[in-house]
Amino acid sequence: MTAVIQTQNLSKWYGNVLGLSDVTLEIEPGITGILGPNGAGKSTFLKLITGQIKSNIGSVAIIGQPIWNNFPQFSNIGFCPEQDSFYEEMTGWQFLTSLLRLYHLPTAEITEKADKALDIVELTEDKHRSVRSYSRGMRQRLKVAQSIAHDPEIIILDEPLNGLDPLGRRKIIRLIKEYKGEGRTIVVSSHVLPEIEAMTNQIILIHQGKIFAQGDIHYIRDLIETHPHIISIKCSDPRQLAQKFIQNDFVLKVNFDLKKGTLLVETTNRDKFFGLLPSLFVENQIEVEEITSPDDNLQAVFDYLIGK
Amino acid sequence: MTIKEKGYTHWDGELQDGRFPWWPITRIGIKLTFKRKFFKFFFALTLIPALVWLVGIYVSERLEDFKFMMEGETDFLNVNPAYFKTYFTNDFLLFMVIMILVFCGAGLIADDLRHNALQLYFARPLKKRDYLTGKAAVIFFFLFIVTLVPGIVFFLFKLIFAGNFQFFTSYPWLILSVIAYSILITTFFAFYALLLSSIGKNRRYVAILIFGVYIFSDIFYAIFYGIFRSHYFSLLSIKSNLQQVGAVLFNQRTPVDIPWFYSLMVIVAICLFSGFMLKRKVRGVEIIK
Repeated sequence: MTAVIQTQNLSKWYGNVLGLSDVTLEIEPGITGILGPNGAGKSTFLKLITGQIKSNIGSVAIIGQPIWNNFPQFSNIGFCPEQDSFYEEMTGWQFLTSLLRLYHLPTAEITEKADKALDIVELTEDKHRSVRSYSRGMRQRLKVAQSIAHDPEIIILDEPLNGLDPLGRRKIIRLIKEYKGEGRTIVVSSHVLPEIEAMTNQIILIHQGKIFAQGDIHYIRDLIETHPHIISIKCSDPRQLAQKFIQNDFVLKVNFDLKKGTLLVETTNRDKFFGLLPSLFVENQIEVEEITSPDDNLQAVFDYLIGK
Repeated sequence: MTIKEKGYTHWDGELQDGRFPWWPITRIGIKLTFKRKFFKFFFALTLIPALVWLVGIYVSERLEDFKFMMEGETDFLNVNPAYFKTYFTNDFLLFMVIMILVFCGAGLIADDLRHNALQLYFARPLKKRDYLTGKAAVIFFFLFIVTLVPGIVFFLFKLIFAGNFQFFTSYPWLILSVIAYSILITTFFAFYALLLSSIGKNRRYVAILIFGVYIFSDIFYAIFYGIFRSHYFSLLSIKSNLQQVGAVLFNQRTPVDIPWFYSLMVIVAICLFSGFMLKRKVRGVEIIK
């Protein structure tokens, strides 16, 4: 698949403060999550790829064209900033139409696109209320609306789920997934890991201005050999199972969680472990209730990578 | 790998800049200014001098009809370049211009900074130059209404009331002076207001600055003149500098006895400095948490 966003040795610093360092990556269509703690460089990265700020070193290309000073290309991009960016005295409708005018569209098209965007984020009924009276969730949805209203090919969302209630979150996540289904490129940043996990497996981990990892979350997890995988097994005879496991060199440790009645196994080779598992169950006639990988999630990966 | 179906058709023509990319910025700026409390009333007040001068032009052509009111002295009703110069450089008009700036100019950039709107503008096909042009055009719009438009109207009405072209043939350059001075004063105040507006996020502080810098520049001139008895300190005064250049453009004697081009240099220097600062201040918001 062709990369939609390409960065080459991208670096940005603010005086002595390093914002982003030597970032070379490619982002393909679909949803890509940008993850990192506050101050990691996520917003800097997003502002660089939307052409709002210039890199000190390196370049950004959007659909093969450099983005810096390439203003017509900006029509292809929708950007939802993290912070509130509203004129409070305007209504939601006025806010959206005034921004759409910057795309030099005919008035009829502006009206149509504003209506459509407000409908998508379910703000149609409140469109003539002033933004000042909007709740946090409504403001967030209006911000998302302004980023999608002009029907862009690339949508950049900086912490789009901030301040939303669970229902609002679900709606925005559903919307993002719908756009993914249409073949668009969506880049979502967040420091809340489960939010990203709910949207995509494709992630970019940023910390201290550097890319720590990029790719499929499970693939990245497998690459971290220094940190063994933990697998939890709830079964009829955990002690017997533990005895069998311990004979294998790829099993480092076994633990019992007596309260839950589970066996926790640490292994350096997940593939070998899962290859062995069925035969052990069958040979020893052990009944299995549940098998889970408690550290095969984003939080664990993130913690490992930044060395917590 | 998931199969992604492209469910939309993107316009595949050549992406182009709009003809007037700054216009949406101007449009919203004018709209929001008219929404401000008391602005319409106040703006109507600023047009009073223009009405008075217009009536003066009418009366000057009908002196015989109004003789009973004049009681001798009618020199001030002599419509000539000095009459125009008096309108354009009178203290009251300049004061009203400053008040218009307080309403329409203070929040132009300050509001965008307060609302973090710059990142929304600059994520769209809008250059920094277009953004600043759009903002400046808001000031041009309002200031032209109290400078250029009345100037042209005076000129036309003088011709209409006189019923001949004698005024035009006597002062063919006057209309150019009107245009040049209107552009000068408007350009200067556009830079002045935008610079101060880019300094803070609070429009009230900026409004105080716009008003205060103008008034204090004049006060400083008065203080230094009082101490040193030198008119060169008039270069500190915004009002005095504009009046100096205005007098030259209307082919009149300068109010202060110093070379007029010093004043022009001060005005140009302030504009250049403002332009330089605006270039630095107005940019995509950079957030480091």
